[in-house]
Amino acid sequence: MKTRATVSLVLAAALSLAGCAHKPHPEPPPQNPPGEPVPPEPGGVPAVPLKQPQPMQLVVQARPDTPIVSVRLVFHTGSIDDPKGKEGLTALTAKLMAEGGTQRLTAAQLLEALYPMAAELKVVTDKEMTTLSGRVHQDFLPAFLLLFTDTLIQPRFDPAEFERLRANALNAVRNGLRSEDDETLGKVGLDALLYAGHPYAHYTGGTVQGLQSLTLEDVKAHARRVFTQDRLVIGLAGPVDANIQQTVTTRLSALPATGAPRVELPTVKSSAGRTLILQKPTLSTAVSMGFVTPLRRGDPDFFPVAFALSNLGEHRQFIGVLFNELREQRGLNYGDYAYVEHFIEDRGNGTFNRTNLVRTQQDISLWLRPVVPANGVFATRGAVYFLERMSKEPLSPERFNLVRGFLQGYSRLWEQTDQRRLGYAIDSLYYGTPNFLDAYRDALTQMTPESVQAAVRRQLQSEKLAFVFVTEDAQGLAQKLKSGAPSPITYASPKPPELLKLDETIIQQKLPVRPDAIQVAPAAEFMER
Amino acid sequence: MRRLLPLLLLLLMPVLPASAEPPPDASRFFPYTLNTTRLPNGLTVVRVPFNSPGIVAYVTAVRVGSRNEVEPGRTGFAHFFEHMMFKGTKANPEGQRERILGGYGFDDNAFTTDDITVYQVYGPTAGLEKLIALEADRFQNLEYSEPAFQTEALAVLGEYHKNAAGPDLKLEESLAKTAFTRHTYQHTTLGFYEDIQAMPKAYAYSRSFFERWYTPANTTLFIVGDFNDAQVVSQVTQAYGGWTRQPTNVTIPTEPPQTKARSVHVDWPQPTQPRHVLAWHTPAARADTADAAIQSILAEYLVGDTSPAYKELVLEKQYVESLNVYNTPHRDPYLFPIDATLQDEQHRAAVDAVLRREVKAVAGAPVDGARLKAIQDHLRYGLLMDLETPRDVAIDLALYAGVMGRPDALASYLKMLGSVTPQQITLFARKYLEDTNLTVLTLTPKATAAGGTP
Repeated sequence: MKTRATVSLVLAAALSLAGCAHKPHPEPPPQNPPGEPVPPEPGGVPAVPLKQPQPMQLVVQARPDTPIVSVRLVFHTGSIDDPKGKEGLTALTAKLMAEGGTQRLTAAQLLEALYPMAAELKVVTDKEMTTLSGRVHQDFLPAFLLLFTDTLIQPRFDPAEFERLRANALNAVRNGLRSEDDETLGKVGLDALLYAGHPYAHYTGGTVQGLQSLTLEDVKAHARRVFTQDRLVIGLAGPVDANIQQTVTTRLSALPATGAPRVELPTVKSSAGRTLILQKPTLSTAVSMGFVTPLRRGDPDFFPVAFALSNLGEHRQFIGVLFNELREQRGLNYGDYAYVEHFIEDRGNGTFNRTNLVRTQQDISLWLRPVVPANGVFATRGAVYFLERMSKEPLSPERFNLVRGFLQGYSRLWEQTDQRRLGYAIDSLYYGTPNFLDAYRDALTQMTPESVQAAVRRQLQSEKLAFVFVTEDAQGLAQKLKSGAPSPITYASPKPPELLKLDETIIQQKLPVRPDAIQVAPAAEFMER
Repeated sequence: MRRLLPLLLLLLMPVLPASAEPPPDASRFFPYTLNTTRLPNGLTVVRVPFNSPGIVAYVTAVRVGSRNEVEPGRTGFAHFFEHMMFKGTKANPEGQRERILGGYGFDDNAFTTDDITVYQVYGPTAGLEKLIALEADRFQNLEYSEPAFQTEALAVLGEYHKNAAGPDLKLEESLAKTAFTRHTYQHTTLGFYEDIQAMPKAYAYSRSFFERWYTPANTTLFIVGDFNDAQVVSQVTQAYGGWTRQPTNVTIPTEPPQTKARSVHVDWPQPTQPRHVLAWHTPAARADTADAAIQSILAEYLVGDTSPAYKELVLEKQYVESLNVYNTPHRDPYLFPIDATLQDEQHRAAVDAVLRREVKAVAGAPVDGARLKAIQDHLRYGLLMDLETPRDVAIDLALYAGVMGRPDALASYLKMLGSVTPQQITLFARKYLEDTNLTVLTLTPKATAAGGTP
């Protein structure tokens, strides 16, 4: 590990979960003649537009008790803006702007200038949002603001840097995604399966052929199209006064006022019962399952469903049902979690979800960390069993109060840094949910076990699930799934009788898998185009 | 635009402190007050006020890590034992801890390194009193059944599987096994795969592990955030007062000096990028020497973002995707490993030549004072910026204290960072970055699957 990365440009490519299934002929998006209402589709999730903040809307959270200034620039552009055949263009453009130097300074000189400040400058591109976050000690603020804004308004677009960053992006797909992290591969696979034919389907970092087709001219043109004033929200926190707000706003006024029209997102078709098995050499089986949902922040069911999924399990929290039942009681793996919104771990900030992953069409997912292959189907059945149990019976009052207490306290940890507080405030502009976390804590006081169960019944039907597995014996797994045969399990240590009795049910738990919709694909060709 | 021109000028000037009379360096870069008490049983309790209304971090550092795994067949045990610490006591059987802490919304976790095990709990001050009682209870009275122990061993196996997909674990294992012949740093914190598979059979050993290492004198508490200090000291004193377990003396084998260059090669059966690692044995991180600070600075000097090697290999020739030094502080003499991730196998020799050239240069010619100053600023401002939450502060304090053995080790490290001279860098490089003291690790992907790196 480097002692400290001055310019840590974290592309969503490395960690994020975009992508498209390796399908020779992806389904085309549905065509709807303009002006005609979209006919409702069973299980489909239409694109209800997000709210649009004002161009260059300012979000300021000043506090004098820190010497560190945070700047958070969120552009309403992401991998959905990648033209067909040029997948990866938005992420590479953002990265080249941030890292490739400015008209005044080469990439090396930019590093040199930022270095003694230990300033942070990170870029994350997601499906619909690109976030540039900067942090710096106030000792260096004027110089930093100049450099940071220059990367956007006067990027260098250096051909050598373009080639370097493209090579890295290709490595991230060919090696990082396909080979080096089965869990992330499973999650990107789930995006690919759920959003087949939709602009969310391809990996945020790009496809191999998409990246190979890019030119520097593509990047220059794209920057003018999507990094525009009308797509920008400016967040400032820490010791920031009116003067600093003015400086940032004035500088960024040099961006184009407008650019490309917004991409119109099609309805996402149901993937209920579909399965994708990504085959690769590996010791274990990683499992992801989920579905696309119309549920977003602001929907009356959002908070109770978020509550129910926290009950199943937040990342690395011991009180989750899945963690307790599958890991603690049965020793199946290292952890098992569930999320009401798309989840990408905010590394370096605990185990929380990132902010500014705003999406028009969200997904709900369950994630099982790698299990030994023999237990792959059993673990999947277990997850589905515990999901369904929340529909069948309300939580006991004791359990309900435990989860409620947990969320009242734990949600406060989500907002302990300036960047995260800015992130939530900026999310709220797009979802129309001011004071989102306070609203969640208020809603918790009104919920009951029955109101949560009712929302679960409305929103969390297991029949909607689609499944992704990453494993070596793909055909063997496909056969097991097709047969629907029970998946017995043996343990190396004695288990209590009530656990063994519950296992008898889990072993036979019906998986909502359609035998005719199981697809096996080699991981080595995933996200080729 | 015009009004911003002065900013550009400022950029070109040397960095100056903001105020005319700056506070001493350590307090400027670590602006927190440590209140330290040592209880009669040897437990050290450090409290740090932090402006985080209603929120507290409670971090316990035990000086035990994979370094302490001296018996053959027991690698990975310190880490496994960290998992067992969540399995309950007579007063608070398994599940009780989760019910109490979970109900407050605490984030409850732990991690293990080569040298230390760190338990970190972070959440509402409202639950602090109950948290103190639970922590004091488990460190004194941990009790778990053999079946629970056997089940948890499988979670550790799952953790190994999670980490085994990428090449880093294998790299770390191969480097450790080659560079160390006697010292326990020859195995990773996760442990050898075969030892992990055999863990379920080691119940009795696990009990002795607890008795041996989980003693008050081997443990430091860091409580950081918003709380009433007097109340907390009184609660901690009472809750931990009965903990009287005495330390056992276990000798950690000493690594003999390396006398000639070593190498190891790994063929990785999946797509990945080639790796080229140069690792020299270097001295331990101690609170009373500058060695840890020198190694942090040297890493930046040799391969940091503004180094000649970075400019040539990453930016200009683009032979290398990234350059890193894994120079985490270690309690015993460890390694200074430069890790280059190559774009292509064909550049290996050229990359090796540049890295060796830079190492020779730092040992043979005077160190650039301006670069040293920029590195010192970079590291110290960077550390300050990383301390955003009470948990960040508590964990950084625990990491340095756990390795160096003094509760204020982070402050002494920061002070050293600011005072390292060009001569110290040169002498260090001359003494330790020698060919006879070097292990070279190479990794080449041998993927048969389509689409892999050739």
